[in-house]
Amino acid sequence: MAAAGKMSLASGAPAQRDVIVLRLLVALVIFGAWEAVSRSGLFYGEVIPSLTRIWTSLIKLLGDGVFYRNLQVTTFETVVALAIGAGCGIAVGIGLGANRFLMRAFEPYVYYLSPTPRIILFPVMIMWFGVGPSSKIALGALSAFFAIALSTAAGMRQIDPVLIRVGRSFRASLWQMTLKIYLPAMRVPILNGLRLGMGTAIITVLLGETKLSNQGLGYMIMQVYTRFDMPGLYALLIVVFLLAGAVNALIGHFARDGA
Amino acid sequence: MAEKSGPSFLRRNGPELFGALSLLAAVLVFEALVRSGIVNRFVIPPPSDIVLAFERVIVEENILGRFRDTAVEMVIAGFAAVGVGVPIGAFLYRSALWRRAMEDWIGALAAAPIVLAFPLFLVLFGRSPKTIIVMGFVHGLAPIILKMVEGLASTRPVLINVGRSLKMTSSQMFWKILFPSALPVIFTGIRLSWTFVLITIVGVEYLINLGGLGQLINELAERYDLPGTYAGICFVVLVSVLFFVILERVESWLQPGR
Amino acid sequence: MALNESQSVNPALVVDDVVKRFGRGDEVITAVDHMSFDVAQGEFVSVIGPSGCGKSTLFNIIGGLLSDYEGAVKIGEERISAPHPAVGMVFQEESTFPWRTVIDNVAFPLELQGVGKSERMDRAHHFIDMVGLASFEKAFPSQLSGGMRQRVSIARTLVSQPKILLMDEPFAALDEQTRLLLGDKITQIQQELNQTTLLITHNLTEAVQLSDRIVVMTYRPGRVKRIVRIDLPRPRTSDVVGSDAFGHYVAEIWNDLREEASRGMADSESAASRRAAHG
Repeated sequence: MAAAGKMSLASGAPAQRDVIVLRLLVALVIFGAWEAVSRSGLFYGEVIPSLTRIWTSLIKLLGDGVFYRNLQVTTFETVVALAIGAGCGIAVGIGLGANRFLMRAFEPYVYYLSPTPRIILFPVMIMWFGVGPSSKIALGALSAFFAIALSTAAGMRQIDPVLIRVGRSFRASLWQMTLKIYLPAMRVPILNGLRLGMGTAIITVLLGETKLSNQGLGYMIMQVYTRFDMPGLYALLIVVFLLAGAVNALIGHFARDGA
Repeated sequence: MAEKSGPSFLRRNGPELFGALSLLAAVLVFEALVRSGIVNRFVIPPPSDIVLAFERVIVEENILGRFRDTAVEMVIAGFAAVGVGVPIGAFLYRSALWRRAMEDWIGALAAAPIVLAFPLFLVLFGRSPKTIIVMGFVHGLAPIILKMVEGLASTRPVLINVGRSLKMTSSQMFWKILFPSALPVIFTGIRLSWTFVLITIVGVEYLINLGGLGQLINELAERYDLPGTYAGICFVVLVSVLFFVILERVESWLQPGR
Repeated sequence: MALNESQSVNPALVVDDVVKRFGRGDEVITAVDHMSFDVAQGEFVSVIGPSGCGKSTLFNIIGGLLSDYEGAVKIGEERISAPHPAVGMVFQEESTFPWRTVIDNVAFPLELQGVGKSERMDRAHHFIDMVGLASFEKAFPSQLSGGMRQRVSIARTLVSQPKILLMDEPFAALDEQTRLLLGDKITQIQQELNQTTLLITHNLTEAVQLSDRIVVMTYRPGRVKRIVRIDLPRPRTSDVVGSDAFGHYVAEIWNDLREEASRGMADSESAASRRAAHG
């Protein structure tokens, strides 16, 4: 007993093998419980479909051209939203980060508006940009803007001042300073901002599509829901979660390596 | 050191005043643009109409009742998230194996767009406030667990050694050393969590057209009551900002000297 | 050679009656007070003084980073009021770009000038070789030691072939042994390039080891206390540190410096006790 206690103190971190075994066990228990509930008939009809039916739906979904057409629409909207949100966010962030006056005048507004529910602006976006993709793009861009502007401003303030002096001592122009010192020095915070911005842009674009749209993955979710195709709904949500997670991990990876 | 009573209020708060004045100027510019017909008043109503609509929205739409509905949902979801998240976090801190196995998964849960699953929750819990509360709870859970673990793990080793040297029992150790030392970080978790809860609850109310403030905006928009919609949105934004500011104040009050 | 200690024929750099004050009203601090000296072509001059005597202010003025000062720092007939192409600066702080490899760090000034890639790399390679880092060209700064990173900074400054190399305590963060060995490297490079150099330092051995002349500064306000010519033989290496003549110079300059340094210490101690009394 005492020996075991000492062992665990000395070795510290648990073995990778144990971690994997535990994860497998947890996954197994979750799936097992799911299957048991599904077969017990505790819930009304289709609410908890069996895993095999979800799997079949998943395969069917991934083999269906309709899915890819809708995925394309959502991807397009998200990418354009992120491009606009990031362009404005980085520009505003640099302004707020470079200038103390602008920071004190305007950063509180950006900061305190950032954690408000963005989806409620959707009706306004529809009035401004119509019911098509533009209103989703606008909502996504607006959501992405805040995270990106704030982390760019913070990133700008944490640049090592000696690097700026180096640039000045070599008489770098403002353009060269921006391109060769400010932006590379802010790479990590900007990428982190993009990661957060991307996350909220995906969510708001998809929510916009569920609310009012005739295409995109959000629209597809509502269709499956209206048809009460529960295995299909689960399959679709799984795919959307995995895609969002993959994009998040990818940007996170770029933010980590190097630097 | 006593500050020299030199610079006037105007000089000290120049930038803030400039920010507020430019905001006011933007509102006035919009007013002028709409009144002169350059901007269609069926896209943006004149700001003065929006201000006037506030009274109507408050009186006719029972905004305080709706505010109470949303607040009740938030309180239930928020406290449930704390009540469940804190013990889970404490457990994960105790067991290095569970922590290593589950921390990444919980992180993934925190980043996942769960709110998109609202149709699923509608099926599971029906078109009732239950759905809204459960969704708020699910969104609020992960940050609390993660910050609880982080806070406990960041206790300075020397404090733990102090506890050991005093031969404290493990429950004394937890309540007298680990927990107080983790409290500021835990409250950061609560702030993040409750911000998510607010965003989710208002968002879901809007999306499924049920409950408090979110539904109000949906209804006003569907009635095409433009000034009303804008006023409702302003009201919700103000409430969220106020909520956020209060959480921040409490947090910094809990972290003296930082 | 047989001239007044403070004047040279056709100097590369002239510091002429420079004054710099900070603050306004009754809280003015005179950081640099009527300083005058010059640096001849190919000469190595050190400015030495206790911490807080205004050395870094002088560095920033000569580098053109502080344009608002009285008097004149001149290169030829030109008064410096912005970073000048003839002056290459090496900073005290860690100043390599962490996102660039060694060779890309060193090529940085050439990149700004729009030099073509292959020429850029050739010239950067030459100077990396000179500071003895040829096998680390592709490494990132985070993979190097502090001394190696400082050599990267020096190579980066040398690559733009400045007429005057201006260094602000470039070895301050390094340990004594590394400092001596890097001193050798600097001497060697300086002789190879016949590089006019002005070094700002608070380190006595470093100054004597490297310099032809040493400008000793007073503590607040920063004035020229004395200019000492170091007649140690060249080529020099760190072996010189053991010689009698070296010890003699160190003792002589320390004699001047001790008084200034203890004034500086008394000042910072009384400031600390004032803070403690108020706090």
